[in-house]
Amino acid sequence: MKPILIFCICLALTACVASKPDPKVLDATENAIQMAEAAGGDEFAPVEMRFAREKLASAKLAMEKQKYEVVVYLAEEAEINAELAIEKSRTAKSRRQANELRRSNDELYKRLVDTFGDEFK
Amino acid sequence: MNHLLTKTLLVLLVVLLSACTAAPKKDLALERVRDELRTLQSNPELAGYATLALGEAERALRTAEQATGDKLYRSYLLYMADRRIQIARAMAEREQHEQSIDELKSLKSEMLIKASQLEAEHARLEAERARLLVATTAEEAQRAREEREDALEKEAESARAAQLSAEEAEQARRLAESRASEAEFARREADLASQQITSLTRQLENLQLRQTESGVVVTLGDVLFASGEAQLVEGGRSSLEEVVDLLQTEPDKKIRVEGHTDSSGESSTNLLLSEQRANAVREALISMGVSADRISASGMGQDFPIASNEDEAGRARNRRVDVILLDN
Repeated sequence: MKPILIFCICLALTACVASKPDPKVLDATENAIQMAEAAGGDEFAPVEMRFAREKLASAKLAMEKQKYEVVVYLAEEAEINAELAIEKSRTAKSRRQANELRRSNDELYKRLVDTFGDEFK
Repeated sequence: MNHLLTKTLLVLLVVLLSACTAAPKKDLALERVRDELRTLQSNPELAGYATLALGEAERALRTAEQATGDKLYRSYLLYMADRRIQIARAMAEREQHEQSIDELKSLKSEMLIKASQLEAEHARLEAERARLLVATTAEEAQRAREEREDALEKEAESARAAQLSAEEAEQARRLAESRASEAEFARREADLASQQITSLTRQLENLQLRQTESGVVVTLGDVLFASGEAQLVEGGRSSLEEVVDLLQTEPDKKIRVEGHTDSSGESSTNLLLSEQRANAVREALISMGVSADRISASGMGQDFPIASNEDEAGRARNRRVDVILLDN
């Protein structure tokens, strides 16, 4: 009776523990962070960049400490933050471009009103 | 004793198993993420944008809602859903900006077209004024003739004076006529210009154009050459492509390329440099298909600034190559 029970407990415990993940998981995350850096993430999305780096660091630590069940989660969370940083950077750039166009259009408009007066309205 | 141990172990087992499948209850974190998605979806300004990314976010949230399994796994899924929503928001905002950019660009084209139409309108008004002048002068001449006839009957002296004034009026009439035909010519040209403007709008957007007495001037800013150099920088040719397109829309017009510098440095050096640069642009334009006998080049040195040489912005504007499409 007793050995069976102990076996059951062991089984229940191992069900929750994952096996060692492929170390390439972390490479993909590092790639994503590098792409986010290239996209200007540190300028346009510093918060997400920090999340991405912190979570990558945690994932590495978890790998060392053999807490394999969280390695994949942390790596994916880091990666999606890098992805978000890229999107935010692109959005910031398009916002900047729109604002610059708006300003240059305003200038053009003023110049044309100066030239043509009320006719240009 | 043995019995107690068995019971304790059983309880422990149940607790351990249930730890892996905690029952879902009112979950504040989940509610927050749901709210986030609802806010994004109900934002009227972002409606219709980034629908694919929004769909992905919805799917991620549904996966998180339906997940069973340990708490760690569910909070991971919820985190991913939250980030997907943020990504969808960023994309929707970007699409919105991109639409604004398109609208702003076409607004700019409209303003440029309207400006050129107004210029044509002004030319037409001038022609109208000249015609009116002709009519008035003719009336005056008629009146003078009548007066002269009256005067002839009365006094020879005043007749001579009337004769003189009639001749003057005639002269004025001729002047006015020639002005009228000039104005008519200007009007036709302006009409032509406004017809062409539509096809030119695309080029106008990216090129700096000025209309001067000698013709349309395309100013190539201070990007073609490195400081002190007379060789086109790499990529300089590609910025000439639009210029070539513009020049080829008017194949009959001659082209003059003028190099200009700012006032820093020796005047003689500047003159030489501006000439070399003008020649470099000429050579490039020829190699890109502009026929060689249409196009001349000259260095103007520092003596024809278009902006103040006192500050860097002005000097940068003065460092330029003007490509002039000559009005015959």
